[in-house]
Amino acid sequence: MTTRLSNAEIQYIVDGVEQDFRSDGRGAEDYRQIELETRVLPNTNGSARCKLGKTEVLVGVKAEVVDVDVHAPHIGKLVITADCSAVASPKFVGKGSEALENDLTNVLSFLYNSTNTISLKDLCIVKGESCWQLHVDVLFVQCGGNLFDVASIALKAALYSTTLPIVKVSGEGIEMEMEVSDDPYHVWKLDVSNCPICITLYQIGGGFAVDPSEEEVACSEGFVHVGVQPNGDMSSMEKAGAGNIDPTTLLEMVEVGVRVGEEIHKQLNKQLDAEKSLAKL
Amino acid sequence: MASEILSAEGLRCDGRRPQEMRKLKCELGISEGADGSALVEQGYTKVLVSVFGPHECANRNTRNHERAIISCSYNLASFGSAIRKKKMNSDKKSTEVGVMIQNTFEAAVMLEKFPKSQIDIYVQVLQGDGGERCVAINATTLALINAGIPMKDYVCACAATVYQDSVLLDINNLEESSRGPLFMLAVMPRTESIVQLQLDHRLHNDHLDKVVKETIQGCRDIQVLLDRQVKEWTVEAAAAYDIKPRV
Repeated sequence: MTTRLSNAEIQYIVDGVEQDFRSDGRGAEDYRQIELETRVLPNTNGSARCKLGKTEVLVGVKAEVVDVDVHAPHIGKLVITADCSAVASPKFVGKGSEALENDLTNVLSFLYNSTNTISLKDLCIVKGESCWQLHVDVLFVQCGGNLFDVASIALKAALYSTTLPIVKVSGEGIEMEMEVSDDPYHVWKLDVSNCPICITLYQIGGGFAVDPSEEEVACSEGFVHVGVQPNGDMSSMEKAGAGNIDPTTLLEMVEVGVRVGEEIHKQLNKQLDAEKSLAKL
Repeated sequence: MASEILSAEGLRCDGRRPQEMRKLKCELGISEGADGSALVEQGYTKVLVSVFGPHECANRNTRNHERAIISCSYNLASFGSAIRKKKMNSDKKSTEVGVMIQNTFEAAVMLEKFPKSQIDIYVQVLQGDGGERCVAINATTLALINAGIPMKDYVCACAATVYQDSVLLDINNLEESSRGPLFMLAVMPRTESIVQLQLDHRLHNDHLDKVVKETIQGCRDIQVLLDRQVKEWTVEAAAAYDIKPRV
């Protein structure tokens, strides 16, 4: 995964980004082709596979009925965990992937931290008693840069495809009974219309770009994660990596991030809706 | 519970006959970053294997001057099993399966061709519905072939159980959790030599001969399918260089 570049190559890439004409002909705001497929894991409540460049991510959503949190008895729970598989690189065997996994988990969890991203109230079954807990596991099968963006797109697609069985609650107090439906068609789907995706903008030389190739990442200094919602709102923002970004550039980057994010949401929603029209289950 | 395993008409819970194997789908070279990779699906069990190497030994102490060493890591994805399992870096079962796969391929790979080197095998079970170890071995065979690492023969594995005097081949999760014997065999089909054999629970001696024969047949059937896929992939890969290989 370490790319070794000569000074001439670095200069070439940096100049390209600054002039909005990158090595592969893309502009600074262009993403490469994204491959997305949902419902790839029949064992889960929802799943998606997303491939962009050399990065491939598999997301599985599993739901279980648990007791509510004492401090938040009227909402359900969403737990996002990232996992870098050893098949992606020998560096990820054993504890090697811990640092990267923590980073990914934190950024992705932060993305969904705000209250208007996904309605956790919908996940509540019985107020003060039981709720749905969604475990979202993000598995990186290939790591080739731009991990956060790909993961967030796959995450949204997986949540979109998630079906939860309808629970029938009867009785009250001690005599309360919950019946989780066995029927695979007796299900309900989550509302993902506000789910954000992460757009990462890398600062390269005097300019910045989205969706960098591995060589471009090697030339970059700092990067900014922007969590963008379909309506153009920002759900989170974080500056990471080494390097300083001056405030004017930062505002420009965020503006571009939001614009690109909205466009991606549009395309993503279009494709997800198109998949809905294909054969069910 | 009893009639779920094998119905009165002789059908298993997923509609298969006792000696019927699950649908096998396999693909080579799906992970571009690895030297060799393969994805094998048998029924709902889906396993992805990446092979890196032969490369310089990471640890000078484990280096062997006469042959390559194999290091294997086996991992089940959190969403892979019916109940979600938290990721554990080194739980006993995963380590045990890793060592089992390592031993299996130490017998099959021509390690003497690469002294002082290391071959890494990484197994990721994406979805487990019974027979994960077997699918892992089948996928590793393909990944090693994809990496161009010379082997003495294919290594094909199949799991079986015995229920009411019938041998059930290629068992799924439900059949694995029944209280019958779990018999796993890894075989090099051409010479029919057994590379790995594992038996859990109790198997009556009278059934042993029958189980071994039928499981070997199951392994041979798997080899035919894997071989077909390897030939297809070879023709495709060679076409990129305008070569027409004789397969």
